[in-house]
This record gives sequence, C-alpha cells and structure tokens, in this order.
Amino acid sequence: MNSSNGNNGNNNSFDRLSQDLGLHFLELVRIGSSKAPVEIDDAAPNELNTINSSAGFLVVAPDKLSVKYTGVNLHGHDVGVVQANNPVPVKRLVYYFEIYVKDAGVKGQIAIGFTSEGFKMRRQPGWEVNSCGYHGDDGLLYRGQGKGDAFGPTYTTGDTVGGGINFGSQEFFFTKNGAIVGTVSKEKEMNRCLFPTISVHSQNEEVHVNFGQRKFAFDLKEYEAQERLNQQMTIEKTSLPPNISYGIIRAYLLHYGYEDTLNSFDLASKSTIPPICIAQENGFDDQDIMYALNQRKTIRQLIRNGEIDAAMNKLRDWFPQIVQDDKSAACFLLHCQKFVEFIRVGALEEAVKHGRIELAKFLGLPEKDNLFDALVMDCVALLAYECPQESCFGYLLQESHRDVVADTVNAMILSTNPKMKDVRCLQSYLERLLRQLTACCLERRLANGGQGEAFHLCRLLN
Amino acid sequence: MTTSKKTITRDEWEKRLNDVKIRKEDMNKLVMNFLVTEGYVEAAEKFRMESGTEPDIDLATISERMAVKKAVQCGNVEDAIEKVNDLNPEILDTNPQLFFHLQQQRLIELIRNGKIEEALEFAQEELAPRGEENQSFLEELERTVSLLAFEDVSNCPVGELLDISQRLKTASEVNAAILTSQSHEKDPKLPSLLKMLLWAQNQLDEKFDYPRINDLSSATLEDPAV
Repeated sequence: MNSSNGNNGNNNSFDRLSQDLGLHFLELVRIGSSKAPVEIDDAAPNELNTINSSAGFLVVAPDKLSVKYTGVNLHGHDVGVVQANNPVPVKRLVYYFEIYVKDAGVKGQIAIGFTSEGFKMRRQPGWEVNSCGYHGDDGLLYRGQGKGDAFGPTYTTGDTVGGGINFGSQEFFFTKNGAIVGTVSKEKEMNRCLFPTISVHSQNEEVHVNFGQRKFAFDLKEYEAQERLNQQMTIEKTSLPPNISYGIIRAYLLHYGYEDTLNSFDLASKSTIPPICIAQENGFDDQDIMYALNQRKTIRQLIRNGEIDAAMNKLRDWFPQIVQDDKSAACFLLHCQKFVEFIRVGALEEAVKHGRIELAKFLGLPEKDNLFDALVMDCVALLAYECPQESCFGYLLQESHRDVVADTVNAMILSTNPKMKDVRCLQSYLERLLRQLTACCLERRLANGGQGEAFHLCRLLN
Repeated sequence: MTTSKKTITRDEWEKRLNDVKIRKEDMNKLVMNFLVTEGYVEAAEKFRMESGTEPDIDLATISERMAVKKAVQCGNVEDAIEKVNDLNPEILDTNPQLFFHLQQQRLIELIRNGKIEEALEFAQEELAPRGEENQSFLEELERTVSLLAFEDVSNCPVGELLDISQRLKTASEVNAAILTSQSHEKDPKLPSLLKMLLWAQNQLDEKFDYPRINDLSSATLEDPAV
C-alpha cells in the first residue's frame, strides 16, 4: 500500500488509461509493419474457363483467349458457350471486358454477356434465367428468356464489342467499337455470382476475348471518372457549417502538438478576407487539446530527431507519471526507439548493450499477454542485417515509425490532463470523422450485396 | 407500409470503427493538401518541418498565387492581371471567361472610385468587343454599366456587384484557374470528405439505426434511438 500517494484512485485510473493507450499504439506499430493492401479484392477473370465450356461445340485456343465454333448449328441447344475462369469481382465501381469478332462465320450468331454459375453451357447467354446477353445477329438484349428486347445495333466481323457492370448504378452496359450502345438495370435476382460469358453458334465463327490484358476500344477510365464525377456532384450539393474545415484542421494541429504550424495558421486565418474566426462560432471545444501544447511540441520534435534520451529527460521533468512505471507501453516504445536509433547510426555494440539492459526485461511478461515480444524480436532482428532498412524489419527505421512513438507520447501527455475524458486523447476530430466515413461506406456496400466501391483514405490520396 | 430498420448497437458500431485502418501519414497529407490549396504558405512550410509531410505542390508557387488572389480581393485588378501573366501567360489566354470577369471587376472598381469617364472609355474599348463575341458577356457588361445610371448605388438592383463578395468571387475564380494550370485540383479534399460523411450517413439512414455523428465540430457519436 502506497501511503505517500494522496490520490490512489486517480493514479490507478491513470495507469489503466495509459495501459490502454499504450496497447492501442502497439497495435498501430503492428499495423504499420504489415504491407497488406487496404482491401483484398477477388481475383479478376483473366482467361476462359476450359473445364466447363461446351466442349463439343467449340474449341478454345491454347492461350485461352479465343474460341472457334466447331458444331453444326442444328437447333437452339448446340451453342458453343464459354465463361471466364473467375466471376466478376464486385468490390469496385465498374467491371468490363471486350470481345473482338475475328470471323462472324455463316450466321454471325455471336453473343457477349454475363451468366451465373451452373448455366446450361449449350444455350446463348440471356436465353436462360440469371443471365443476360447482347447478340450480334439481331442486336437484341436477352435477359432470362428466349425473346429479346430491342437494344442496340447488330455486330459482325471486325467489330469490338464490350460488356460491363456498373455497380454504382447497378446496371449492365454494352459497347460497340468504343461507344456505349445501351444500359439495362441489373435486377435483384441477378445479385448472384456472375461470369463474363461469350458464345458462338454458326460455322466458322471465331471470337477473341480481352480481359484487360490489352487496351480496350472503349475508354473505361473516362467512363469510371465520369461516374465518380456524377456521384461527386450529388455529394457536393450537401451543405456544410461555415468554416468547419478550418476548425477541424486547427483541432488536428492542436491535438498532435504542431504548435508552429498552428501559430502560422491562426495568423493567416486572421488576415484572410474575410477573416476566419473559428473558436466562438462553431463550438469547437479547444480547451482539452490546448493542454501542454508547447511541451508536447518540444517532446515530439526531440523524438522526430531521434533524441530519445533528451525526450525521456523532458518527460521525467514535466510528466513523471508517464515514465514512472518503467514497464509501461510508453516506456517500452521509447526504449525500443532508442535501440532503433543506435542501429540507424551503426552503433551496434551500443545497441546490444542497451537491449540487454532495457529491452530484455520486456520479453515474456505474462501480464502484457506477451504483446511486447513481437516488437522486441523485430528490433533485435535488425542487428542481423548489413542494410537493415532494406530488410523486412526496415519499417522500424522509417520516419513513420518515429511518428508512432511521438504520437504515443503525445496521447500519454494529453491523458494527464485532469479534465480530459478517457478516449478523447486517442483520436483527433479528423480521425474520428474519417473512421465514421469509412465505416458508413463499408456498411452501405455490405447492404448492397457487397458490391461497389467503398471509401478508403489511402486510395484517395495515393 | 413501413419497413423496419435494422439496429446496430453502439458496441457493434465501435468495433467496426476500430477495425478501420487510418494511417497518420494520410491524415497529414490531407492537412497539407488543405494548407497548400487554400494558400497558407507559412503554415505549409511549418507543417512540413514539424510533421515531415511533403507538399503536393511547389511552395514557391503558392506565394505568387496568393499575391494574385490578394490583389483582386483588394480591388487592384490591373496588378493582379500583370502578376497572372508573369506567372503563366497561358492562363488568361486559354480562359476567356476568367479574363472577362477580371476586366469586369476592373470596371466595377473604376465605377466605385467615381472615375466615370475612365469607366466608360474602358467599357467601350475593352469590354464591348468581348460582349459582341459572347451573349452572356454582353449581359454581364450591360448589368455592370447600369451601375452608372444610379446615384445611390447601395439601393440599386445590381448593387451586389459593388459588394466585397463580388471581389471574392473573382479572386476565387483566378485562384482556381492558377491551380488548374499547375495540374493541381482547385479545391481542397477535406470539405468533400465531410460532405461525403453527411451523405453516407443519410444513405445508411434508409436501412439502419446506428450511432451517428450529427455535429461535425464535436465529432461525437450519438446513440441510435432505442
């Protein structure tokens, strides 16, 4: 029992809070170390499926990108149909592929479209349920029945015809020689797995297919850009409270302790015409994040410059409660960073010495669920490489990693503010808004059968 | 017939929020993009030093752009035009509408300063020829010249042309044209994202009850109605 501590309760809750914060940032380190893409989309179709095609009626070339009709065309059940090897990937705005009619043969009964799994591979796409097809001989669109609807022009030898799905508007669209010929709504029953499909039905017909390996006749990028622009124009009509962006940027600078930037920003806002005054107007509650601004800025700069000892000394002077528990996540991250800084300048012996004194004690700590182990191991592994920054542990030497350590300490300092509620020191307003935006877009897509584009900040910016 | 909405509890929603991966570098880029597009040069420089984020445009060009914008905002249109041409003569050449609006602003300033003869001369020599080429320019020209007919401009139907908001509009237009000529987007990304958030929540409202952020300036979640 610590009799010297007047407010035991507060210290305990601070310890718990700092524990949570520390672990949160350790998680960030772990995420930073992995190079996984932000979203894994399904494998796109890239060739024809030779296993389930109507083998008796067509032959697929060895490159699996063209077909020839070999049947006799006696009736409606000897169509040479072939699907792509993979279904249409849905986590995107548009999917598109093209065929080139090398030879329209005797009757030009070629079709391009989409069919579901288990389609009867002897019928034209569109003649059966859960399929649609644009037919070259009559220019009609067939959607799940033997009778087609007027849709577009016929097509024949030398034409390039494309079929696509727009997940934003939930429509099929088809093109001929680079121009759209028509669109049709993708009804709910077609909410199943669809395969790009092509077919041939009379003698000598030959069709080549392009899944994107070569340039399309249709300007797909322009089409996508236009779709995004249309959606953007709808969104732009939303109105925002005045000067909200300025307020959010300002709060961000305050939150992370970018004091110099903040001062320049404030100065510039005042001399804008008309001047922008944020705090009073929009109810931004700045008090909490103005706390210890100058000190947080100072310590952040020390960490960014790799001066870990100096940073820790400042912490001992100004916020001793943060470094009191030497086994806390904050101390752990700082000790690791010191190790990394030794490696950066090639002082390997110093690194080893430091590791033995300060890092070894973090290994195998059961109460921390061995979370620290992974990071210690990654740090120590750096010793093995001549060029550590090129190794798979190189992430530790990047500026972004220094930034994680700086952000951790920043959050710890904010949490020492007696007026601060618990979770707010973790995330700036901007971060919370971006998380909400991403979560809403993902949820919306989920409700849409998992189809379409969702928002990802890194995709927007890079 | 009402379709019932599915409820997503606070706990479930917070889990989804925690699963989102947002990188600090990307947030920094968003901030830098704002500073640079809005023209806060010093702030952008300081931010580069304090955060290590590289601006997506040459900072030197920002000062020049801001000088042009400032000149228009203060009514020094001749000065602004000179500066734009120094920066890139193609901007005004390829942007007849912008050039017309700048000339129009010049006319407004002459009228504001009571230089009636000069204003008339300017209108006849510089603006009338453009009005002949383009119907909407002609209409704008007529509106502007009609300012001269009123003794008390504060009460006339086209009085808004003398308002500072007109200067700001023109300044914004020239700012956007310069950014576009530098192959940079003319608007910062952040406001669009905020709008997207409001839009996305509205879309989701059709099917779900879930914790919403109703007040962007506090960014706090409000629980779904029970």
